[in-house]
Amino acid sequence: MWKSIIYKEWLKIRWFAIIYAALGILVVGNIFLKGQHDFEFSQEAYYWYSILFNQYRFYEYSLFKFVPLIGALAIALAQYFPETVNKRIKLTFHLPVNENKALMVMMLFGAFCLFAIAAAQLLLFTGLSLVYFPAEIVQSALISIAPWFLCGFVVYFLTALIVMEPVWKYRFLYLLVTATFVPLYLQTAAARAYSPALPLLGVFTVLLSVALLFSGYRFRKGEM
Amino acid sequence: MSNYAIECKNLTHYYGKKLVFENLSFNVKEGSILGLLGKNGTGKTTTINILNGFLQPQDGECLIYGENSQNLSPQNKARIGFLIEGHIQYTFMNIHQIEKFYSKFYPKWDNEPYWHLMSKLQVSPKQKISNMSCGQRSQVALGLILAQDPDLLILDDFSMGLDPGYRRLFIDYLREYAKEKKKTIFTTSHIIQDMERLIDDLLIMDFNRVLAQRSVKSFMQEFKQFHLELENPDIDISNEEFVVNCEKVNNKLELYTYESEEKVLNFLKNKGVAHKNFRQVEMGLEDAFIGLTGKY
Repeated sequence: MWKSIIYKEWLKIRWFAIIYAALGILVVGNIFLKGQHDFEFSQEAYYWYSILFNQYRFYEYSLFKFVPLIGALAIALAQYFPETVNKRIKLTFHLPVNENKALMVMMLFGAFCLFAIAAAQLLLFTGLSLVYFPAEIVQSALISIAPWFLCGFVVYFLTALIVMEPVWKYRFLYLLVTATFVPLYLQTAAARAYSPALPLLGVFTVLLSVALLFSGYRFRKGEM
Repeated sequence: MSNYAIECKNLTHYYGKKLVFENLSFNVKEGSILGLLGKNGTGKTTTINILNGFLQPQDGECLIYGENSQNLSPQNKARIGFLIEGHIQYTFMNIHQIEKFYSKFYPKWDNEPYWHLMSKLQVSPKQKISNMSCGQRSQVALGLILAQDPDLLILDDFSMGLDPGYRRLFIDYLREYAKEKKKTIFTTSHIIQDMERLIDDLLIMDFNRVLAQRSVKSFMQEFKQFHLELENPDIDISNEEFVVNCEKVNNKLELYTYESEEKVLNFLKNKGVAHKNFRQVEMGLEDAFIGLTGKY
């Protein structure tokens, strides 16, 4: 039964997930194309000087900044908007499974897809980085881009909450909350600057994952 | 154990301050087909939403096979086939994908009736449901419910958007299926002629109240329409106790009542109401519905 729900979710998001994954690969390719360009055309000493003393842009990984956000937004809309057309979510709630579990499976599958795509992008990024840079620099880069990938999950969970909310007034309220929290993950910062805040941002992201249940509950109680 | 598939007790619901119904109670016997009839805004879809657990009534409860509809167990939900108003389905799927999707949820799944219905549709195997006509979508929705083989079917305005041919196909298929397999159906439709071919019992709702709750057969036998022409068009008998409704155009009066022709004639005679051309008019269910609820 749960496989069937996953099958339905996959049918909704597959093209968006594939395009997002491809976009991520293109971005990684672009980052290293620029790196290659700098190696070829800048003097190595100058390049290392930039890396060591201008930490905030030691290579062009900032191209990643909005990619997880855009990917998560596209996947969340593709997954949840069709459920609101003609209140189609009623079909899911009528399936012979627990309603909250059904929503959680939907959410977990979407989050898993985001995670899998992010993992593929990050593996590719890390692997290529290690070819050019020492591990310390790559580690700094990963810590620096981690909030942007967490941001993808936050956007996914909050988009699900907003889209599934049956009352427009509440949707605007949630939108305001989203507009307040999402920029916290997207500040431009020096390498490793997010390091102390990462655990807290991670906990906050995990807590948001169950927000969808609230919209589902409100729908089932007939809020309109 | 009661032999009711549905028991609704003292349902009361408001939208804001607007009362939809108060203390509404009704039962649906297992194996019967009950039609919920009413004008727009009388609470048909509200009742369906309460039955399916998508709306919590302010007061009262609905039991489906003994379980409160607000907290139906998965086992009980598997016994209920639900058709959403407008034949809503997952339109991003094609007919193969949607059959594959639903088949895993229902232990009694039998895809034969589904594919039998699909074979009548002129659709390609990979055509998405969103690209089908309303009539074709209705057949997909019906086919899925039949394949589910539920004990209780809840159908919300199944005739919406269907042309006469598809409506007839839908009803004939459904009635034969329900009677052959002893299924219970609870349905609404705004096209009363459709209901006449389908239902055994009716529940007619008006704003805030129930007007009739009985078998179609007894309702059609007992509810009558009389036509007469008054000598004095100013006479008003609409407030008489036996008059359920009357519609007057000039001196021509349509009178609706549960009383016999003899009693109506005696009343007119005793009250000295001069009239001519008195006759009983044969009614279909739609005429009777309009007679009971009024034209406005």
